[in-house]
Amino acid sequence: MIAPRLDDLDRKIVAALGLDARVSNRQIAADLGVTEGTIRTRLKRLQQEGLVQFTVVTDFRMAGSPNLVMMGIHADPGRVSALAEDLSAIEEIGCVIVLLGRYNLMAMGLFKSVEQVDDLIRARIKTLPGVRDVEVSTAIHSFKYDVRMARITRPKPLDD
Amino acid sequence: MQIRRGKRSGAPTLDEVDAGIIDILRQNGRATNQEIAERMGVTPSTVSARLKRLDESKAMRVVAVSDFAAHDYNILIAVGVKVHGRDSKAVAEDLAALPEVFSVSLMSGPYDLEMLVVLREFDEIRLFLIDHVAAIPGVSALNPGIAADIVKFEFNVAPL
Repeated sequence: MIAPRLDDLDRKIVAALGLDARVSNRQIAADLGVTEGTIRTRLKRLQQEGLVQFTVVTDFRMAGSPNLVMMGIHADPGRVSALAEDLSAIEEIGCVIVLLGRYNLMAMGLFKSVEQVDDLIRARIKTLPGVRDVEVSTAIHSFKYDVRMARITRPKPLDD
Repeated sequence: MQIRRGKRSGAPTLDEVDAGIIDILRQNGRATNQEIAERMGVTPSTVSARLKRLDESKAMRVVAVSDFAAHDYNILIAVGVKVHGRDSKAVAEDLAALPEVFSVSLMSGPYDLEMLVVLREFDEIRLFLIDHVAAIPGVSALNPGIAADIVKFEFNVAPL
């Protein structure tokens, strides 16, 4: 069992910033009864360790109400790592996971038209060496999605 | 052809100042209004007014995103769910109520629902799938895949 990477205070700070990361350090410090310097130090460490990141999430409507498309990719086992890199390099694909069980790779992206999905899968995924089959599934409605949690794969460089 | 119709009205329009502010926040969500104003060549009160408007229109949000590891979630599974004898939406709502469910969507594809689940330990997979999910009325088949590697995970568009 690995020791928790966030202590109680870290968790409270992250929770305070959750859906509105514009709250000032001063405000959080006052709410939690600690100094502004403590908040600043904690946030810097969390960002440097790639545990927390501040980012802009745009509403679906602003992006033209796209649909989430899930692609389950069956591939030659020896090509999975290389394919994971190839798929990650495709801008329209937001998520690539190496999967055990259902298929070898799962890729997801947001798309505004079926033509766009077809173009991607037919011309740019099925043509990649090692891809055997792609199972496509389109989201009709999202019941739950927590924007506050993710895998931070590339921590952003800190300004200061 | 559009995959989804409707819900297209009501998206607020952005001008260059809004777009510039959002761009800076994408790089550093915690930049102060003063810093944004200096980089944009506008007054801090303009930045403050624009941010207030963007916030009220729910066009975007600056969020604190924490890594799965920060919550000790070491396991991610992608589960396809088939539903029989009950409305899939009702099953989705039951699934959404489980804290381990990170996302759940109604799908058009081989499975009626797709969910991403975060867990701390391997033993929890059995507990979650067999004791909790399989007990939900209407769930007729489960196809889980275990994430071996999350290579890319960038979702900057979400329902707000």
